Amino acid sequence: MMGALAFMQVSQEELKKEILHTWETGRDWAIPIQIGPVDISINKAVWFMFFGAAVTFLLLFVGSRLLKSRPGAYQVIVEELYGFGRNQLAGQMTQEGQKFLPFTLSLFVFILVLNLIGLVPGAYPVTSNISFTLGLAAFAVITYNFVGIKRNGLGTYLKSLVPPGMPAKPIMVPFMFFVEGLQQFITQPLTLAMRLYANILAGHLIIFVFLGLILYFGALSVVPLLSVPMAVVFYAFEIFVAFIQAYIFAILTQVYIELAMNAGEDH
Amino acid sequence: MLDPTGIFDLPNTSLIFWEIITFLILLGLLYWFVYPPIRDQIQQRQRTIEQSIDEAEKTRKEARELLQEYREQIKEAREEGRQIREEARQEGEAQRERAKKDAREEADRIVARAREEIQRERESAVREVRQEVTGMVIQASEQILGRSIDRDEHGRLISDALDELEADVAAAGSRSGR
Repeated sequence: MMGALAFMQVSQEELKKEILHTWETGRDWAIPIQIGPVDISINKAVWFMFFGAAVTFLLLFVGSRLLKSRPGAYQVIVEELYGFGRNQLAGQMTQEGQKFLPFTLSLFVFILVLNLIGLVPGAYPVTSNISFTLGLAAFAVITYNFVGIKRNGLGTYLKSLVPPGMPAKPIMVPFMFFVEGLQQFITQPLTLAMRLYANILAGHLIIFVFLGLILYFGALSVVPLLSVPMAVVFYAFEIFVAFIQAYIFAILTQVYIELAMNAGEDH
Repeated sequence: MLDPTGIFDLPNTSLIFWEIITFLILLGLLYWFVYPPIRDQIQQRQRTIEQSIDEAEKTRKEARELLQEYREQIKEAREEGRQIREEARQEGEAQRERAKKDAREEADRIVARAREEIQRERESAVREVRQEVTGMVIQASEQILGRSIDRDEHGRLISDALDELEADVAAAGSRSGR
């Protein structure tokens, strides 16, 4: 479609459509399923999420079945992924945090695979969908609050939201409770979701906008000389972002878990 | 759908629904089937590496001890060699001294014998000369006297005279300081 348009100039409306094409097709290829009023049809985004999950599983599963004492390149990658999780993700504060390595490492690899799949032209970048990242953040927020309450008891956990030694107790304690509670239950998961979503979305948009400039100014203008190299540069940068955002999401989840774990001791 | 462009795709109920299911299944599969073998493999490799390091350490220690031992042995051997050389030198020296001494003694003996011999020769020569002289003197005296004389009596007289002469010569020799 873009190829056909390459040699003609397009209107702003068409240009916008071209740039947003990837996300507009998110609900295509649908197998309609409905539970009461809730739509759970399997559409393009879901297909790609399935694909990403399958790739994540197969990547690690095949790696775990081909283990030899003298590792090949593939095994090294799988083992390094796991070792990276053990050394860089889990156990940042307490050794006990290692227990949650399977969770955060799975998050990391899943997000990373989805980020990288999203970079393939024509694929749907699942991690640039706010619904998806909010869902992952919900997993995180439920996990770390559950761990915090289970480890410290509900009372201690809620009490730990307010730092000790507050002046003007009658005003400050409810205020701090509100602020910290907001952070613990709303802000942290929201920022987790928004960060991943916005970074991946912005990266794709920048590439599309640079390429879209060619459509707007025409392929025979001077614009392609500038916008194609810029798109390539940002494409490469997006690969880096794919890794870094997956890592940030995973390590923040891990840190939140370990913070909640030790909530009773810090305050 | 709030946003027809799909950029702010909220709420995408189907995606959230399938996400929860997919992620839980993925998590379970990874937790039960994938992580344990990888963890075991890494731990086993870690153990193997630690073992190898220990072994290498041990081997190195042994090698160092062996080297030390060899050094000591070499030192001992060198010391022993030095000692043997020293002994041999002393032995040689003693041998040489002894040989020198023997040779000197031998020479002394030869010289002494030669001296004795000479002495004896001289004495016999002197005796012969005296007999001759005595004979000649007696013969001369007989011719002068025209008769025979008592050979024994005269022989003794001549011998006494010769003794006297000899003593005089000896005295003169010793006086003149030879």
